[in-house]
Amino acid sequence: MKSGFVIKTVLLILLIPVTFFIIHSCEMPATNFDDVEDAIFYTKDQKADVSQPDSTIRVMTWNIRFGIGRGLWSIDACGDRVIFTEAEILEGLNNIVDRINLVQPDVLLLQEVHINSTCSAYIDELRWILDHSYFNYAVYGSSWKSQFVPSDGLGRMDECNAILSRWPITEAKRIQLVLRMDEGSLVRYFDNRYCMVKAKIEIPDVESFYAVNIHTAAFATDDTKYNQLVRFKEELDSITQSGSRFVAGGDLNTIPPGSDSTDFCFEDMCPGESFHQPADKPQHKDGSNYAPESKWLVPFYTSYKCAVPLGIYQSDQQAYFTHTTRPAHFWDRTLDYLFTNYRWRNGSVTTHQEFLYDSDHAPVSAEFVLERK
Amino acid sequence: MLSLYLKENKFSEFEYFKEPVLNLTIKESTMLRISILYILLFLSETLIIAQNLSFPVRDRWSSNTAYLLPAGKWECGIFQPLRYGLNNKLEIHSSAIILPLIPNAGIKIALGSRNGFVFTSDHILSSPTIFLKLVSRKGIGGLISPEFDFPLIISISNSIIVSKPIGSESLFSGYAGFLFAIRGDKPNPQSTIDLPLVYQRMAHFYEGITFRTGISYKGAFSKKLFYEEGLQTFIVTRSKNNFFTENSGNLLWAAGKAIRIKGGYILSYGKYPFGTHWQLWPSIDLVFGSRI
Repeated sequence: MKSGFVIKTVLLILLIPVTFFIIHSCEMPATNFDDVEDAIFYTKDQKADVSQPDSTIRVMTWNIRFGIGRGLWSIDACGDRVIFTEAEILEGLNNIVDRINLVQPDVLLLQEVHINSTCSAYIDELRWILDHSYFNYAVYGSSWKSQFVPSDGLGRMDECNAILSRWPITEAKRIQLVLRMDEGSLVRYFDNRYCMVKAKIEIPDVESFYAVNIHTAAFATDDTKYNQLVRFKEELDSITQSGSRFVAGGDLNTIPPGSDSTDFCFEDMCPGESFHQPADKPQHKDGSNYAPESKWLVPFYTSYKCAVPLGIYQSDQQAYFTHTTRPAHFWDRTLDYLFTNYRWRNGSVTTHQEFLYDSDHAPVSAEFVLERK
Repeated sequence: MLSLYLKENKFSEFEYFKEPVLNLTIKESTMLRISILYILLFLSETLIIAQNLSFPVRDRWSSNTAYLLPAGKWECGIFQPLRYGLNNKLEIHSSAIILPLIPNAGIKIALGSRNGFVFTSDHILSSPTIFLKLVSRKGIGGLISPEFDFPLIISISNSIIVSKPIGSESLFSGYAGFLFAIRGDKPNPQSTIDLPLVYQRMAHFYEGITFRTGISYKGAFSKKLFYEEGLQTFIVTRSKNNFFTENSGNLLWAAGKAIRIKGGYILSYGKYPFGTHWQLWPSIDLVFGSRI
């Protein structure tokens, strides 16, 4: 009787702290984030040599589509593939790093980088890019983190926005954007947690500046994307009001004001789909009709300097297209941007449309003018 | 001893062993017949004693132990398998909730007891192919990418379970076994469901043999409230993603003679394709069946 009591008591006493420890160390089915929280740092053990920049550095933004190039991914390209092999992903990452080495950006804003996801063979892509390039520092914030997405065979997902730099990064924060409200709560629970990543780049003898990397909701059909852009603008305004400089960019998933074409339902249509017909529900493909969004970026162009000024874009739109959903097609719309509240070197912007098969987005790079201390 | 059983109206138990004994031909040596009779009597005696003493934790919660359900009794949980005691030597079971998707059937065979240790073997046959094909789909519910296909897979599990009463309120059990699959081509290794608890139970469908061992300790807080702590390990014969261990703790409340409510946790650790991982899951079940 006595020994039984002792055993029960010991079991109970052991269970309580163990349970608390475990609850705090375990992962939820999908990860929710605070409005603002610390971003995650990566550094390279063997630092690459960095020379002091003259008067500018090159900044580049690129949605790398987790290294699958123009692969027929079923989620966004009418494809039948969900899971890619390690060999396919490594080949894609190799191509991406080759392009990066060609352009030689000093600060790189990447979207759709996978950290440990089923569909990209569990390769830590940010670590891989860092280790295979000249960058010394990286930070990231997850934009989609779920232990298991029970849809389409996606499985484990950790996708992020990342900032890479030759020079040290400080004050890195992940900033949550509003969630999509046009989908059911269960789907929303496992879906993207779009975000911004903001970090300070510290270059010796130069005024430090912020880099802000954003990826907004691609397929939202309500005002989610608008609210995300409002939050982005608020963050840029806040940096400006504090007297600091920024370079900001990313995949805004909307087109510039004055674009000739605003509806891409037919371009993005998959076999068996139909849009714009009287009986069609919905009338438009999710994420393909930008007509209601035509003025959403006006405040950015008004307040800040886009690497591709609006007038330049409007005079030759095709030259600045950065995206297409069609696997074997040239770019057909502009979704990727770079802004600053200081200065881009005149004529330095390049939309790298020649990198046609490395992602479904073309990178955009420009030279940001530095302020000496 | 035999007369004692007859006095206690234990005819059914005795009848079970009577037939094989009578079937022995007179050509066999007397020595052999006596030996077999003694062995059978010994086994039946220990089984009957073990199963008929008042022992609440065994009577209310014999799943995952070497004890069988009494003949004619049944129980089923939402998640716990449906069990039915055929006789004092055999119990059949099947996971009813998944039966349409994963046809499965198992049989537990009493092997006897010695020095208070009760032994049974458990054998399960199942086929996950329908389930794998069903969840390999586009859209919500697609646990596996639709780009993968699965051959016919037959999964076979064999294990030995041993239990020993500790005092009058507790029961210690241990088991060891192995799982393997008979199938056509190996499924694509990227078509696994990489979730704790699930991955390790499906590992042998893809590659290797899974060796599974475990121990558990059941006890009673009161006549209606019981507890269990368990630990089990899976080792898969392959070069990676091959080690998993689980600790579970449960409380069982015998809410009525035919209904029991079970709740607790399962903590798992393992080497998965995405790395090593700890996971805690809650567990809950409603068990109902014959009145006890």
